[in-house]
Amino acid sequence: MSDPVTDDDVGDQQRAPAHPGSSDEPTDEVLARRAALGDRDAFAAVVDRHGPALHRYAYRLLDDPGDVDDCVQDVFLSAWKGLPSFRGDSSLRTWLFTITRHAVYARSRKWPASGSRPHVDLDDVVDRVRDLRADPERESVEVALREALDLALQLLPPRQRAAWLLREVEELRYDEIARVLGTTTTSVRGLLERGRATLAQALEEWR
Amino acid sequence: MNDRPAGALPGEDVLAAAARSLRVHTPAGWTTARAGVLERARRAFRPSAPVRGRHELGEFVVAADVVVLRLRQAVDALPDTAARRITCATDATDALDGVTVEVAVLFGAHLPTAARTVRAVVVRRLEELLGELSPVPDAVDVHVHVGDVVADVRDLR
Repeated sequence: MSDPVTDDDVGDQQRAPAHPGSSDEPTDEVLARRAALGDRDAFAAVVDRHGPALHRYAYRLLDDPGDVDDCVQDVFLSAWKGLPSFRGDSSLRTWLFTITRHAVYARSRKWPASGSRPHVDLDDVVDRVRDLRADPERESVEVALREALDLALQLLPPRQRAAWLLREVEELRYDEIARVLGTTTTSVRGLLERGRATLAQALEEWR
Repeated sequence: MNDRPAGALPGEDVLAAAARSLRVHTPAGWTTARAGVLERARRAFRPSAPVRGRHELGEFVVAADVVVLRLRQAVDALPDTAARRITCATDATDALDGVTVEVAVLFGAHLPTAARTVRAVVVRRLEELLGELSPVPDAVDVHVHVGDVVADVRDLR
C-alpha cells in the first residue's frame, strides 16, 4: 500500500451479514450451492455480500492499491470456477478470504519475507497521526481516523496485519483466521497480541 | 472487541473505534471493481465435459455444465425441493449415461414421492435438452439422493 492516506470513502454502510437473519435473504450455504450449480444470480449475491470486505482486506495488504481491483476480480473468478468443488468444510466467507490470501501472496513482493518488518518508522507514523488529528481542514473525523489506522497498519508485518484485519474488522473467529492464514490458533493469538500493541501505540496521539 | 485483555493500552480505545469505522465502510474502489468482477465471471468458462445431443436439425454438443444448470432449474422449481449437487456421467462417445441428483427436501415431505417427482422432472428435461440422444428413462441412471431434510425453507432457496 503505497499511499495509505488516499481518501477512498464513498460513505459508510452496514456490512451485509454472512448469515442474514432476514427471511428474504438466502444463507451463504444456499447461495454457494446455487452458484455451484450455475446460478449466476446467486453468484452475484455472493459478490455483493462479500465483495466489499474482500476489497477492504486486499487493499490493506497489497503494496500497490492499483492491484486491488485485479486481485479481487481474480478471487471471485477463482471462486466461480471452484464453487462446484466447494464442500463447505469451512464457511463460504472463510473460503473466500483464503482465496484472497493466496491472490495477495501472488502479488505481494513483501509478503514472502513475513518475518521482516515493513520499512516504516513508528515515530514518523505517530507524527502523521498527530497531524491528521490536529488538521482543522478535515471535514470528517471518521475519515481521518481511518487514514490514521491505515498509516498505523503499515507498521505491521503482513501476517500480523492480516490477522488483525480478519479479527477486528471482519470479525472472524480465531480458528477461521488460522484456516485463512494456514497456521494455528496459538499463532493467531500471538500475531494479534503483537499487532494490537503496535497499533495502539501508534494511535496514542489520536487521543 | 470483547476479548481484549484487561490492562488495555492507551491507544486501545482509539484502535477499537477505528476498527468499527473501517468495518462499516465500503471503499469507493469496490463500486467500480464490482462491475469488473461480475463481467469476468460472466465470461468465465468452467471446464466441463461435452454431452452429445441430437435434434431434427442435427447433432450437437452441450457442456455438462449447461445440462447441470437446466436440471437445477427444473428441480428447484418443484415445491419444497432443492438441488444440492448434480453430476453427469458420459460414455466414451460423450453420450450421457448417468445423472446423479442430490436434493434437499423440506421436513414433512414424503421422501419416496419427492424422489419419484425429481426423477420424472429430470428425465423430461433431459429429453428437451438432448432430443433423440436423450437416454430412454430406463437406460439412464437417474439417482435421486435425498441428502438433507431441512426444517426451514430458507435452507432450500
